[in-house]
Amino acid sequence: MWGALGPVGDMPCLLTLQMECEAERRPLGVFECQLCALTAPYSYVGQQPPGTKSVVGLGHSAHWHHFLPCSLLEESYVMRDPFTPDKDRFLILGSRCSSCGRLVCVGPECSLFYSKRFCLPCVRENIDAFPQEIQQDLEKRKVPSKRPASQPGSRT
Amino acid sequence: MPPPRTREGRGPRDRPPAPSQEEDPEKWDWNCPETRRLFEDAFFGDEDYIRQGSEECQKFWTFFERLQRFQNLKTTRKEEKDSRRPKHSIPALADLPRAYDPRYRINLSVLGPDTRRSRGLGRRLAPERVSEFRQALLHYLDFGQKQAFGRLAKLQRERMALPIAQYGDRILQTLKEHQVVVVAGDTGCGKSTQVPQYLLAAGFSHVACTQPRRIACISLAKRVGFESLSQYGSQVGYQIRFESTRSAATKIVFLTVGLLLRQIQREPRLPQYQVLIVDEVHERHLHNDFLLGILRRLLPQRPDLKVILMSATINISLFSSYFGSAPVVQVPGRLFPITVVYQPQEAEPTTSKSEKLDPRPFLRVLEAIDNKYPPEERGDLLVFLSGMAEISAVLEAAQTYASHTQRWAVLPLHSALSVADQDKVFDVAPPGVRKCILSTNIAETSVTIDGIRFVVDSGKVKEMSYDPQAKLQRLQEFWISQASAEQRKGRAGRTGPGVCFRLYAESDYDAFAPYPVPEIRRVALDALVLQMKGMSVGDPRTFPFIEPPPPTSLETAILYLRDQGALDSSEALTPIGSLLAQLPVDVVIGKMLILGSMFHLAEPVLTIAAALSVQSPFTRGAQSNPECVAARRPLESDQGDPFTLFNVFNTWVQVKSERSRNSRRWCRHRGIEEHRLYEMANLRRQFKELLEDHGLLARAQASKPGDSYSRLRQRRERQALYQLKRQHEEGQGRRRKVLRLQEDQDGCSSDEDRGGTASQGANDNVDIQDVKFKLRHNLEQLQAAASSAQALTRDQMALLKLVLGRGLYPQLAIPDPFNSGRKDSDQIFHTETKQGAVLHPTCIFANSPEVLHTQEQEARGSDGSRDDKDKMSSKHQLLTFVSLLETNKPYLVNCVRIPALQSLLLFSRSLDTNGDCCRLVADGWLELQLVDSESAVRLLAASLRLRAHWESALDQQLAHQARWRLEDKDDEETAPVNRKEVAALSRELLQFTASKVSYSLRRLTGLEIQNLYVGPQTITAAPSLPGLFGCSTPSPHPTKGGYAVTDFLTYSCLTSDADLYSDCLRTFWTCPHCDLHMPFTPLERIAHESTCPEAPQDGPPGAEEAAPEPLQKASALQRPYHCEACQKDFLFTPTEVLRHRRQHV
Ligand SMILES: [Zn+2]
Ligand SMILES: [Zn+2]
Repeated sequence: MWGALGPVGDMPCLLTLQMECEAERRPLGVFECQLCALTAPYSYVGQQPPGTKSVVGLGHSAHWHHFLPCSLLEESYVMRDPFTPDKDRFLILGSRCSSCGRLVCVGPECSLFYSKRFCLPCVRENIDAFPQEIQQDLEKRKVPSKRPASQPGSRT
Repeated sequence: MPPPRTREGRGPRDRPPAPSQEEDPEKWDWNCPETRRLFEDAFFGDEDYIRQGSEECQKFWTFFERLQRFQNLKTTRKEEKDSRRPKHSIPALADLPRAYDPRYRINLSVLGPDTRRSRGLGRRLAPERVSEFRQALLHYLDFGQKQAFGRLAKLQRERMALPIAQYGDRILQTLKEHQVVVVAGDTGCGKSTQVPQYLLAAGFSHVACTQPRRIACISLAKRVGFESLSQYGSQVGYQIRFESTRSAATKIVFLTVGLLLRQIQREPRLPQYQVLIVDEVHERHLHNDFLLGILRRLLPQRPDLKVILMSATINISLFSSYFGSAPVVQVPGRLFPITVVYQPQEAEPTTSKSEKLDPRPFLRVLEAIDNKYPPEERGDLLVFLSGMAEISAVLEAAQTYASHTQRWAVLPLHSALSVADQDKVFDVAPPGVRKCILSTNIAETSVTIDGIRFVVDSGKVKEMSYDPQAKLQRLQEFWISQASAEQRKGRAGRTGPGVCFRLYAESDYDAFAPYPVPEIRRVALDALVLQMKGMSVGDPRTFPFIEPPPPTSLETAILYLRDQGALDSSEALTPIGSLLAQLPVDVVIGKMLILGSMFHLAEPVLTIAAALSVQSPFTRGAQSNPECVAARRPLESDQGDPFTLFNVFNTWVQVKSERSRNSRRWCRHRGIEEHRLYEMANLRRQFKELLEDHGLLARAQASKPGDSYSRLRQRRERQALYQLKRQHEEGQGRRRKVLRLQEDQDGCSSDEDRGGTASQGANDNVDIQDVKFKLRHNLEQLQAAASSAQALTRDQMALLKLVLGRGLYPQLAIPDPFNSGRKDSDQIFHTETKQGAVLHPTCIFANSPEVLHTQEQEARGSDGSRDDKDKMSSKHQLLTFVSLLETNKPYLVNCVRIPALQSLLLFSRSLDTNGDCCRLVADGWLELQLVDSESAVRLLAASLRLRAHWESALDQQLAHQARWRLEDKDDEETAPVNRKEVAALSRELLQFTASKVSYSLRRLTGLEIQNLYVGPQTITAAPSLPGLFGCSTPSPHPTKGGYAVTDFLTYSCLTSDADLYSDCLRTFWTCPHCDLHMPFTPLERIAHESTCPEAPQDGPPGAEEAAPEPLQKASALQRPYHCEACQKDFLFTPTEVLRHRRQHV
């Protein structure tokens, strides 16, 4: 009754094994926010990052991993959480704006999530499409100290 | 339109169902532990993200409670159904949920509990509670994501805000075009942390970054690992003397300069690195200067190697021009404006003529700050003083002042403090209270403390300076340089505008030298020269140093190494020298280790060598605490300080293994800084590995298998220790503690310092040092060594003293003849170059000097005089010491008493005799008068034989070591030296040292030294004495006169009041062995004795067993040797092989 999916056969175990390998893998590339130029290496893109499982009650074969029965609601750029020694923790860096397609970080100055990811420029442009709570919330946020994306190397 | 794909959905099944019979929603209690456990069972299993009982689990429930409160406040939220909004034209916006729910703001979905594990849950918990719990978990995860991302973003913001951030590209670009780049920027510009990361980001993967200090290696590796988001990865590591976190995956390693030099010694072209960052070159440390010279030579051979020199903005052109005008990237620092106030100290009437520093000018600054700045305006004070004595003088006064005003927390900071005490300066002062940190120049560049607003600069620094003439190190006070003054000032402007009080005049400042004196110009260079010889960099006199050392220092170092037997007369490494050059230890310590391993005394010598290589573990001030003194007494050895340290270490190891947790208290009770003992243990282990690595010590067998039960137990214990260590590391990131004000004398203390007894968090009770110690060392092995040490026999002890004596030679001091009539504190000693040296107050002989006084002997010569000068005794003693340190007086540090006559006969580089050998002069400054000629000659002959024997045994060991290195270390089985031979040698040495001969001992006066020798003789009636002392025919000595018997012994060269022809006078003598009765001169008599066919090959008087004939053996060591390089065959001793092979290097 609780699980979204009923118990399944062996297949998901295979799945978790694959994820494990993914977790060990080198970074796939460097994520860079097109709004604030934040950069970080990412090791996974998708909705089921390493360390999570889409099925409840499995994964008992891999005792050294601690799976989170959860999944992401958007195609995200993900890295291993660098602030914890636990190898199975992940950190979502960002995703594409579902309106304009810009790659943006999850920082509150660049984007927000309301059932989908929207970059703040898009939200501001279409503010009336969002409920009042979002509008109020946006007013509270300070105007982002924009680092132009045209100068990606400004950091170095 | 479908709601967001939260798995939980908002379908009809989530509608609140009717409460089940058992569950009354009104009575539902989330705080009930049983309820919580039910949910934990379901959601937080062993395989789950959050584990039951973990810290994370606790955090979740805290979060849960907060969330509940928050949601209760918002229960009145209206269900807004705002359907007036038109459907949006952009598809992405068209299907947004109309009714707002915070859940839509979360980009995660959480599944239900594990149904297998939670069958009971379904029956017992209402679905809406489960839903509530899942909601909370969702928010919790989202919160965690936001928090972690916030940290990431903050980190990047901070990195981008650093002054150097604007220069990263330029540095990389310049490095592409040049082999060497100088990056100059002041503290706080971020160069040490950022440049390595720019290299990482640019794709470099073999980067080494050197630091002058070990502690910086660790902290930088941690910081850079954290900033480059690989805190828990392995791409950033460090390597220091005892620890390494380096692995195959490491891309950048922080290491000490000394360690890099060792790597160069092994692989001169440094093939393992692409880029080398040399940090803090402006500090001009000895090793850094040497490294620069090496690099300058290496760069043409390694065109692919890139070098970045990092420096403060001091004397940049020096470094740039040294590397052929290397380009400089200069980064401006980030400093707030600092007001400079000159407050020169007027010549005040000092209360006493004492050398104690007057604290009043410093107190006036404290007062001025109190008067001018309201306490709510935060900002701490940093005071630069020249040394520890000055710090304690000001500390005392400032604490008295602070106890009146309650506005200051006074803290000392210097390198002799324990790490924990040093750490206190980072603690936070309570509101309204400022920290007043009294520091040596350690806070100039090494330690950076935030929140400093005021700086007081005394303008003075105490530095070690080396006097090559007197061969002693002096701790002297100097004016600082302008560069240092600016560094000190800059400390006030790191977090905001600041004030710098200079306790000198502006004209003084103008007169300061622009830069500090580089280390190479003020320290002893023997270790450096030895290392240079070991690295075959050629003549140290012509090495292209960035600034050459003073020629006298170099000459003194070379002479010292020749004295120590590390260099031969052509300044090439001797076999023992080449071994010493490989050991990263002081020459004296290295010699002890080599000699000790030969006599199978490796275990005790390892401990003693380690003890002598770290700072004294005895805390200052404990000397005046009678309880500490009494508790220490049983550990003291009247043989000398090294043996006291030996006892301390061994007993500590016993305490650790018996009542494990008590060692901290054990140390505190005795006024012992435990940190130093940990250092000793580390060093001891490193020395042991060195000896094993160099074939001087058989590698310890892997620990005995034991029964399976004890193996299991051991493994469990180790696992538990690892667990403790991990927990400690996770809980790190030391929370800043709030300092407490208190009246007692030992300064401000943080709560942590209240000892193990005070209430502390469970985590703080773990003695992490103890855990690390037990993980790093095999305690059982150490304990075995310690308990065998306590059972050292008298003989072993005597041998140990010989080993120490030979290792420390020629560092000798003779007690002043009038010492027995002086107070304990007035005992003085004389070395060859320094008169009137005193003992360090912690020295055992400072408290019981009587063990050094010579007991009167019934023999002639004692006419009741109160002094020892002409006293005849068989028990005269000398002190051998580890170092001579001059502060306000010259101090002998770490002394051992040794028998004078025997030691001098065995060790001295020069022994001169008169005609009948009753008068001996050792090393040109110590005179020995023996009672009768016969025993004098016997002893002399015995010492010659023993020395030769010892030399040959040592040669064999070194040859074995050299062979062992060549043969790829495969004959680990063979003992270095024949055990039987060593046993025989040991026995003879012991007999020799036990010999009882009456003699007097005194230091020659300057005038006597000038007129010591008869000088070259015109009539050289060479005594034809075959086999005198077992040597070839003595030749006339060209300068001293007399006859050179060996390279150290010159016979009959001393002038004397006695008849000049006394040595030609023959008296009748009967040989006790062959009954030959003939008139003999003393020399002829000795000659006969040593060749008498009937004479047993005995040692000194009383020797019983025949000694092997080592002298003839020398040639027996020769073996055919084929040299691959010159394709010739030779007959060589192992030493000669080494010497020969060196020609081809
Ligand atoms: Zn962004
Ligand atoms: Zn957009």
